[in-house]
Amino acid sequence: MKNYGEKYGHFEMNQISGQWRRWLAPIIILIVALSIPAMGSALWLKVFTSVAIYTITALGISLLYRRLGQVSLAHVALMGCGGWVTLRLSHAFHLPFEFQLFAGGVFTAIVGMVLAYPALRMRGLYLALVTLMAAGGFSILIGIIQFPNGGDGFAGYAITAITHMERPYLAQSDEAFFVYCIMIAVLAYALVYAHEHAKPGRAWALIRRSEASAMAAGINVTFYKVWGFALSGFLAGIAGGLLAGSLQFLDARSFPVGESVMIFALTVVGGAWHWFGAIIAALLFRLMPALLNDWGVSGDAAFIFFGAALMHALATAPKGIAGQIAGLASRLMKSGDRHD
Amino acid sequence: MKKIAVYSASLVGAFMMMTGGAMAAPSCGLSNGQKANGEPIKVGAIVGQTGPDDFSSSGDAAQAFFKCINANGGVNGRPIEFTMEDDQWNPEVAAQVGNKLVKDVGVVALVGSGSFVDMAVNAKLYADEGVMSMAGACAISDCYESSNIVTAAGGPLISSVGAAQWAVAHQGAKNIVCVTTNIPTSGIYGCSWMQKFMENKGLEASIIPLDPASADMNSAVLETIASGADTVLVNMPGGMAAAFLKVAEEQDLRDNFKWISSTPLYDADIPAALGKYWTGVLTVNAELNPIDGTGPDTTNWRAIMETYANEGDPRDTFSQAGYLAAKYFVEAVLKLDPADINRASVTKAIQAISGKTSDMMCGPYYVGLADRHLPNHANIMMQLVDGGFKQVSECTQVDTEYLAPYLAIEKEMGISN
Amino acid sequence: MNIYGLFIASGLAVGALYALGGVGLVLLNRATGILNFAYGALGALGAMLAWQAMQWGAPEPLVWLLPIFVGAFFSLAFGRYIAPHLSQREPVVKAVATLGFAIVILGFMNLIWIDTPRKLSLTTDTISLNFAGLRVTLTRLIAFGLALTVALSMGVFLARTRTGLMMRSIAADRDVAALLGTPIRRVETLAWGLSGALAGFTGLLFGSLVRLDPATLTFLVIPMIATTVVGRLQSIPITFVAGLVIGVIESLMTLYKPLAPFRAMTPFVVAIITLMWLQRGRLLTFANED
Repeated sequence: MKNYGEKYGHFEMNQISGQWRRWLAPIIILIVALSIPAMGSALWLKVFTSVAIYTITALGISLLYRRLGQVSLAHVALMGCGGWVTLRLSHAFHLPFEFQLFAGGVFTAIVGMVLAYPALRMRGLYLALVTLMAAGGFSILIGIIQFPNGGDGFAGYAITAITHMERPYLAQSDEAFFVYCIMIAVLAYALVYAHEHAKPGRAWALIRRSEASAMAAGINVTFYKVWGFALSGFLAGIAGGLLAGSLQFLDARSFPVGESVMIFALTVVGGAWHWFGAIIAALLFRLMPALLNDWGVSGDAAFIFFGAALMHALATAPKGIAGQIAGLASRLMKSGDRHD
Repeated sequence: MKKIAVYSASLVGAFMMMTGGAMAAPSCGLSNGQKANGEPIKVGAIVGQTGPDDFSSSGDAAQAFFKCINANGGVNGRPIEFTMEDDQWNPEVAAQVGNKLVKDVGVVALVGSGSFVDMAVNAKLYADEGVMSMAGACAISDCYESSNIVTAAGGPLISSVGAAQWAVAHQGAKNIVCVTTNIPTSGIYGCSWMQKFMENKGLEASIIPLDPASADMNSAVLETIASGADTVLVNMPGGMAAAFLKVAEEQDLRDNFKWISSTPLYDADIPAALGKYWTGVLTVNAELNPIDGTGPDTTNWRAIMETYANEGDPRDTFSQAGYLAAKYFVEAVLKLDPADINRASVTKAIQAISGKTSDMMCGPYYVGLADRHLPNHANIMMQLVDGGFKQVSECTQVDTEYLAPYLAIEKEMGISN
Repeated sequence: MNIYGLFIASGLAVGALYALGGVGLVLLNRATGILNFAYGALGALGAMLAWQAMQWGAPEPLVWLLPIFVGAFFSLAFGRYIAPHLSQREPVVKAVATLGFAIVILGFMNLIWIDTPRKLSLTTDTISLNFAGLRVTLTRLIAFGLALTVALSMGVFLARTRTGLMMRSIAADRDVAALLGTPIRRVETLAWGLSGALAGFTGLLFGSLVRLDPATLTFLVIPMIATTVVGRLQSIPITFVAGLVIGVIESLMTLYKPLAPFRAMTPFVVAIITLMWLQRGRLLTFANED
């Protein structure tokens, strides 16, 4: 199964399709996404803004999982790190949003590199548990220091008087901010694509197969592992900054440990081996609960449904939903080179 | 259980109506017994139902009241279409449902909301869109410091200071330790102003913040012992407070301190949850008057809950607050021309509410045009007795500097002098 | 009275809870290779049903037995019908699937029991003795004793008995164990049942000692996992000791004001530091080992 992933882990949906065909699906998805504001619903605009944001997070998780075989159960906590820095800088300096977003991303990339330190020595469940412990620590820490809301001092938190964070100059309204998030998500995809189709991608592929042989082939295993974590952390940090921009403030209670575990689970369910798996993960993570809530299904009943669906998906679809869709798509195209 | 309760409640309701019952018939709005059939008026509420605690009782009460209105002539013939959304204690969801109600559904106002997140997340939305939220249960500071949110409840600050004030006056408390959640806008907000109150009196106070998810109540109890206080103020949600008090009971600390609490423990399930050990020992602050009171509003509220709410919906302080919000809302919109009920006219009508008195509240309820609202700043104390509560103090104005801007507003409005 | 003695005693009391939870988690992991995120939820379900039985006036012995059977039953259900489908997945995915199970149980509990303050009062809560100035109830002593007993006996069981050996062989490599003729179904069923029973009983004690609240009890599994990390998911005695040490450190932090608010982080910080220390000096990681 692992070999399979390496072979088909690229962005192709179908190998014998023409060059144009591989861009077809992304372009369709992008057009659909950009037409969402035209629906004219404030609720679904908010929901899809969250979906766009968590797509970036899931992209970072699936990168680690697919390329390095590493599991992070701390990505929602990492989003919190990025969001904290973005908010802090915004309230302190009022620089353009992009600077703050980037700074939040870079800071989280550094945190990601710190998480990579244990990853140099362990993998699998142990590493996952280290990240889980980090997420657990973060959820308590942030409950104490809180997110900056325009107060004084280093933490920038005051019990009263929330000052709302400024949004990007180009995206003041909810509609514009949604488009802004989609654009950042596209850039995030481009960043990951560029990495996977260049030297780091080849190095990661070899490392995933065997670290010893990667090292024998002259690859700096430590560097590329750390780089993978930094990139993944960067994406989470950007997502956190966007979340802060979406709500214009953050609340410590948005970052419990369970959320970090859940988004990893959904990334696996969505399908880490295909490029659109991250989108499916984010849809499951934010759109599905919102749909159930809107249909009047109680949050508790939604839990039951969600948990059952999670177990079912993990038990029956080893390549995730994206894998099933890709398999179906390739069958429909009557391609000789079938994916499963 | 909740679902099962629905059926039994309607059965009980039907039974009571058939037999006539001993209870007074609910009265609301026009009270003409005619079903309202006009164009509906859209009203919303956001409650924290799914999450660490079910905080939806104020919304349930508002819903019951509106059902009663719709069965009794509506708002001059127009029924109220009430949409209650669950924010699941999640800020993202709160923003989603807030936008849904305000922008998509287009509610004229929010009535009976009860939440730990909605008021912080959506205060700006309400102000930007010019919609008022007449909330029920407000557990966070944002609820009392926003131009478009007003509630009949007093909140953790007023309740904590009220409890401390009573303990100083009646129990001779000199050093109070406030055991609370580490949520800054809820627990710490209340306790730190209680601390200021004590310091202004030349007395001592300290705060023990607790992580709500922590398994360890033992160290909190030991910290309480080490604090040197003579009085313990429990300012936490009921479940957490019950856990803390259980460990205190394990250490048999009942007689080492005087025990007071803020409103969350004024709940019908609390006497059974705490057990006999605390009977006659714990005194709880109530932001509104007793739920078993005999005044017209309290009686009518119970009657409306009996007829129009589910049996499982709690009858607590927050339910009372939801009832008051719904009642005052309807009284305000009844004055409007039924053809001209829109967000702008409703917001104006709500802002014009003033001088509403009720047997449920110590002082008058008012809204007014201000950047912050806190009409309810007087409350009572209830002592835990065998299987229930007993009122041990009359309405008392809460004495805290925090109220200075609110009192200035009241002076300006001519409510107080 | 020595204040340190008091806080250490209190820390041991809380640590015993971590230890008890951690030991049960390690037991299942050693026997089936699955880290069970639903462990807390199984316990919560047991505790809630025990409370319900008590409300209906059930005799107390039944109240004590009920969570054991409930825990075993639901744990078996997962082990029997869902876990086999996951046997080919990596350990993390198996663990994550149990989170799904936990959420299902939590959803049901929240639907059945509307959130309200509840208390689980056991007769053993009323019996207490004095230990270093701290009153310790019998319930707490049972928690400590159970953790100790399980730590001692399960270590021996897994290491010395034939069933224990079979459990370990299945956890190490299910396919090879099957080839060697290990009765996989039977042994795994035993492991799931045993650990579920322990989870249920742990839940009963937690419901009495921590808080009778489904969500709180369900998510207590996260700090419990911290103790198992210290024991590298393998060593039951180390997990036991780790639980106690974490409890004591957490309790002692109360005495130092600047650190006191951060004390709930103790399990996580201790786990990360130990794990890093245990893995020091390793340069490469290999796919087959963690």
